[in-house]
Amino acid sequence: MAAVEARTGGDTAARAVVSLRGVSKSYGPVKVLDIPELELTSGQIVGVVGENGAGKSTLMGVLSGTVTASTGSILIDGQELHSGRPDHAQGLGVSLVAQEFPLVGQLSVAENLLLGRRPASSEGRRFGGWRFDRAGTRAEARALLADVGVEGVDVDRPVERLPVPVRQMIEIAKAWGHHPKVLILDEPTSSLGPVEADKVLSLARRHAEGGGAVLFIGHRLDEVRALADRVIVLRGGRLVADLTPEQASEERLIREMVGSELAKADVSPPPSVEREVVLRTEGLTADGLGPVDLEVRAGEILGVAGLMGSGRSRLLHTVMGAQPRTGGTVEFKGEPFFPKHPADSVAAGIGLVPEDRKEQSLVLGASVRWNITLATLRRISRRGVLTPRADREHAGRLVKELGVRLHSAEQPVGDLSGGNQQKVVFGRWLAAEPRLLLLDEPTRGVDVGAKAEIYGLIDEAAKEGLAVVAASSELEELLWICHRIVVMANGRVVADIPRERFSKELIMTAAAGTQGTQSPEAQAAAKEAIV
Amino acid sequence: MSSSTDTAPAPAAAAPEKPGAGMLRRLVETPEVGVVVACVVVFTALAIDKSTFASAVNLQGMGFDLAQYGLIAIGESLVILTGGIDLSVGALLGTSVILASWFNVKAGLPAGVAIIFTLAICGTVGLIHGLAVTRLKMPPFVTTLVTYTVAQGVTLAITSGTSIPGISGFFGDIGQSYLAQIPVPLVLFAIVAVAAWFFLERTYQGRQVYAVGGNAEAARLAGIRGDRRVVSMYVTSSLLSGLGGMLVLGRMGVGSASGVGVGWELSAIAAAVIGGVSLMGGQGRIMGIVAGAVLLELINNGLTTLQINSNYTQIVLGAVLGIAITADRLRARRLAKRR
Repeated sequence: MAAVEARTGGDTAARAVVSLRGVSKSYGPVKVLDIPELELTSGQIVGVVGENGAGKSTLMGVLSGTVTASTGSILIDGQELHSGRPDHAQGLGVSLVAQEFPLVGQLSVAENLLLGRRPASSEGRRFGGWRFDRAGTRAEARALLADVGVEGVDVDRPVERLPVPVRQMIEIAKAWGHHPKVLILDEPTSSLGPVEADKVLSLARRHAEGGGAVLFIGHRLDEVRALADRVIVLRGGRLVADLTPEQASEERLIREMVGSELAKADVSPPPSVEREVVLRTEGLTADGLGPVDLEVRAGEILGVAGLMGSGRSRLLHTVMGAQPRTGGTVEFKGEPFFPKHPADSVAAGIGLVPEDRKEQSLVLGASVRWNITLATLRRISRRGVLTPRADREHAGRLVKELGVRLHSAEQPVGDLSGGNQQKVVFGRWLAAEPRLLLLDEPTRGVDVGAKAEIYGLIDEAAKEGLAVVAASSELEELLWICHRIVVMANGRVVADIPRERFSKELIMTAAAGTQGTQSPEAQAAAKEAIV
Repeated sequence: MSSSTDTAPAPAAAAPEKPGAGMLRRLVETPEVGVVVACVVVFTALAIDKSTFASAVNLQGMGFDLAQYGLIAIGESLVILTGGIDLSVGALLGTSVILASWFNVKAGLPAGVAIIFTLAICGTVGLIHGLAVTRLKMPPFVTTLVTYTVAQGVTLAITSGTSIPGISGFFGDIGQSYLAQIPVPLVLFAIVAVAAWFFLERTYQGRQVYAVGGNAEAARLAGIRGDRRVVSMYVTSSLLSGLGGMLVLGRMGVGSASGVGVGWELSAIAAAVIGGVSLMGGQGRIMGIVAGAVLLELINNGLTTLQINSNYTQIVLGAVLGIAITADRLRARRLAKRR
């Protein structure tokens, strides 16, 4: 393996903080990770990319002690890690920010941030060893949050009452609070808006500059390329490439990840003929939303951009009837529409692919068949009775049409990879033949290959006259698939941009425009965009 | 056995399973199989050891018992499937015994009307449970604990600890008679079990019950009116308690609540858990629940047949529950590991 020059200053000699020797992990006969040799040096940010199931998470797990390696040894700063012991890994200075946040929902932000350790201030107190130091915990939590750049979070609030992006930032702050030597970030920005993502990236840079090692797993290739001093690519559990940033072009990375050239599915242009308006909202308001005026036509893919907390998800949930509407009117298919429950919307012909697959979309323990037929149960039943054959055929057909990779339609959906789970959710809705499909982060946590397939599905459905509203924090995604993008800020639509005027800068300035610091240029740009 | 997960570049569509191997594997992976096998083993062992165990009279006696416990076990399981729990099934059964005999004897109503009134009251109680759990978001444990307490109080208040004699012969006709040597209550239990099976496995509403129990938010966003399903399961559970009460009343021939109902909810929960119902909701099948109830009854009756001191019965039943839960965990863990 070609050793890559680390970005190190002259005096601080690069030393190996982590070295793996012959590490592998097998589940039964299946080898999911096989790394003969890998060294991470101090002051270096190493990007890790690969498709879902390529072994990225297993690698992180082995390093952080949550996964027991089958063979091999791991040295952290010269000391051997007892494989499979997270506490030992933490003691040696490894901190992991996982994709699934292991936060205790009922405990406050402060208590979560200092989970498993005591604030420094408790040292001097009497009985500080076992008495809970509330003031010290809060003070230290505030300092920690300020350090990672999170503002306006009440440290006494239970974590479960905070939105997902804030929880992600807390998780990062928690790892940061351990003063790690090795910081492992597992897709830390997948649930964050651009501004928060930038904070995380600068945090990673700070850590590297301070002499730590950073391992950064990412789905957004541009992000990885911009950040990393070295990019390694995993495929099928093996290390297939170890590249410098110069070598790591997007095309090269994708080629290494999928093992062959990937043709990007071409998205068809918006329908040229004028089609009827499927959804029209006027002055739509709800908690933290609106007033919003919006029009979506049949066959149109409308993107919704905006920072976190700008009301993207709330807009979709309000249209769906999953969140109570407080005012305004909605017309669906030309008629007034007032759903009291998502069931009303489904009956009228609206589908929703929510943001959080595990919490909001899937019954994880149930089979793929049960999950894929969830929204169409009534339709495939005859007078309320399901026949096993019709059920199986229906599910089988969907699985085939969508190209879901699985062993059997009876296996629990939780066993599938993220991309295949998402295809199951799409299949559920496409089978319901809706007129309007609402997508919230349609490809969050989905690998590159499956992403292209999902874009193809969306495009295909739109061509057949389906109106699509897609909210996403990934601008590239919206720029790629949408015919038109509206930008939201503080619950309102601040810009409406047609495809021919798409640009990242325009969207970003509009999205940030109405936030506290309002520069005249940004305002002008936003205004221009609205026109 | 190779576990071809999605990580392997598998063929795009599902590979059809080999019929023979697939059947055997599915059989091993089915959680209900263990309980059914346990039933067969226990029955065979007892029948070989004591010839009286498999005698017609004893089997009929077990049939009566099974119907009583089994009915509330099914009701209990329906509630557990939605992710809730119903602690009131036993106490409500006791109360319905007293209510029916009071309507029949003290109020002078005909047996049929007394039964309808009693079931209506039980249904109302279930409706209140369901609405409290769905609308007020009250924890099911607490909600039904209230009924558990109140129902016992109502029973005592009506009877003052005495019994109500002189009930109509109609109760005995259902509670004590046989249909071709099979106890009528057992037939009723079988009908209820088949109906519950049909509902859960063959109707879209039944599937929605599983979805709500497995992930309520996902079900809601998929357009399922989960609250209606939850309410109807609580109502069904309470109705089955009432029906069980009618059978018990018929069998006893006198309206007495001493030793009836209270504590039976634990047997019902045990039968459900032994039969593979997850207390988290969303998992479990009627076949397992029935087998769980049968196993409990076999052990209960078997200990009596073996003339083991009844003081030890509780220990044995508790141990069986412990074994069932442990076995279920181990099985789940093995499956998870293989993936």
